[in-house]
Amino acid sequence: MRKKILENGMRGLFAVTACVSILAVVLICAFMFINGIPAIQEIGLFDFLGGTKWAPNNTPPSYGILPMIVGSLYITAGAIIVGVPIGLFAAIFMARFCPKRIYRFLKPLVELLAGIPSIVYGFFGMTVLVPFVREHLGGNGNSILTASVLLGIMILPTIIGLSESAIRAVDESYYEGALALGATHERAVMKAVVPAAKSGILASIVLGIGRAIGETMAVIMVAGNNTRITTDILKGIRTLTGNIVMEMGYATDLHRGALIATGVVLFVFILIINLCFSVLNNRKKG
Amino acid sequence: MKKILAIALALVVVCAAFAGCSNGSGNSSTSANNSSSAAQNSSSNSSSSENTANDLGEITVISREDGSGTRTAFIELTGVEADGTDQTYEDAVFVNSTDQVLTQVSENEAAIGYVSLGSLNDTVKAVPVDGVEPTAENVKAGDYKISRPFMIATKGEATGVAADFINFILSQEGQAIVNEEGYIAVDDAATAFESAMPEGTITVGGSSSVGPVMEKLAEAYMAVNTGATIELQVTDSSSGMNGAIDGTLDIGMASRALKDSETAELTGIQIAVDGIAVIVNNANAVEDLSVETIRQIFTGEVTDWSEVQ
Repeated sequence: MRKKILENGMRGLFAVTACVSILAVVLICAFMFINGIPAIQEIGLFDFLGGTKWAPNNTPPSYGILPMIVGSLYITAGAIIVGVPIGLFAAIFMARFCPKRIYRFLKPLVELLAGIPSIVYGFFGMTVLVPFVREHLGGNGNSILTASVLLGIMILPTIIGLSESAIRAVDESYYEGALALGATHERAVMKAVVPAAKSGILASIVLGIGRAIGETMAVIMVAGNNTRITTDILKGIRTLTGNIVMEMGYATDLHRGALIATGVVLFVFILIINLCFSVLNNRKKG
Repeated sequence: MKKILAIALALVVVCAAFAGCSNGSGNSSTSANNSSSAAQNSSSNSSSSENTANDLGEITVISREDGSGTRTAFIELTGVEADGTDQTYEDAVFVNSTDQVLTQVSENEAAIGYVSLGSLNDTVKAVPVDGVEPTAENVKAGDYKISRPFMIATKGEATGVAADFINFILSQEGQAIVNEEGYIAVDDAATAFESAMPEGTITVGGSSSVGPVMEKLAEAYMAVNTGATIELQVTDSSSGMNGAIDGTLDIGMASRALKDSETAELTGIQIAVDGIAVIVNNANAVEDLSVETIRQIFTGEVTDWSEVQ
């Protein structure tokens, strides 16, 4: 009897803790949309999403976030171009080629990479990458390229970790079958095992995209934060996250609303990415 | 097994630390080289002509984020803002703290930026503006152009809490807070504060640039005189003055000198001065910039150091 009471009590407790996290998500969503939607209505959806001029303190003010949307896409795409090949091959190496002795060092180091605070990455970018790009590639160093390289490094642990476990999860019979058909070790891994882990690898890339698009501190320290659209990767640009964090401290009234609405746009982006992630995950299981 | 791993990791950390140290010394030696070559540059420049033009190439303009008090003051005082439109060069680098401006300028030979005088340090070079060095003395004397007074104003003679609070602001303690916040105190020889302990509530409002320092002053004053409450309303200088004129505010705040129409109705008291230093890299040979040149640089009309006269 007493055992049953205890069991029911604990079950209730766990239910409550689960509810707290759900409540947090619901509250954040509600806050964002309640505060953001009126601002979008006041500015006008088209002017807000399609406007190329962001000058909230001018008279009259303009609130166009298209440069920031483009900026976020540029930098995320750049991070994927830099991070995915390195991360993917590192994962393949760690799962299938790495001697045990090296693996024992490599794994904790990759995990350490994930644990470094983003402000430290930002400081590294500002004092090492920015001068490097300025001296060797031109421009002033605060550029889309610099931010992409830095973010590429930052998403490595996500991609390596998930891809590695996806590759390890592939049934050993794929590898053995390939060997039995006369394939070399390299060939068996590249042509049989890795393609079989495709959906897990894709999921890791999607999660990397999520990390890249949401990153803030490191990016604003190296991206230059210009509110105009450019096609030169040696010039700076501002991301959605950077826009919010740079101006939130001063913003009032409609400016504040516009920043929260920027958060709504970012939120929708992240929702789409998470949706992609769960679709990929489901396909993997099914 | 774990022990070996732990020892190995510790070794890695030690190696990294050593690498960091050697890097550091390497950096310092290269920076020494830089500064010596800069010295050579400047000496050769001065020997060949009076020209301060640099061969540093394209100017990297470092500005602050929209809404920053320093940026608002800077663009107003240099004319970068015209007719309510901020014309800051759109290819400038925008950073969101004074420290980042200092880091960016100290690491980039072609950079130019601006910081509040209180935050200036020797990692960068402050450029004289129109021949005047940006020092606290010159700002206080009114010779340095890119500076502005922080004013408070009352309608008629202040009484009760308002009078006591104004005494506090101008006292030794109040002026010390002004200095701590990075502004320049108007009275270095102020006497210690003695509160008359009046009770009541007053409303102070106006300039958002004066706001932060006023908030600190109000906090410190309310800690001394617990019977008083100060409400702070931050808007802008003009609404602060209008509020003081029509009586909705007991004390108005402005980050500019009072206009004639305002002095007719109000008594203005200067509580602090804010100076903004224009900074360049230590390797930059530029000796002097006019306000007009600064405006051209920050609006992107001049983009190369060779065009700077």
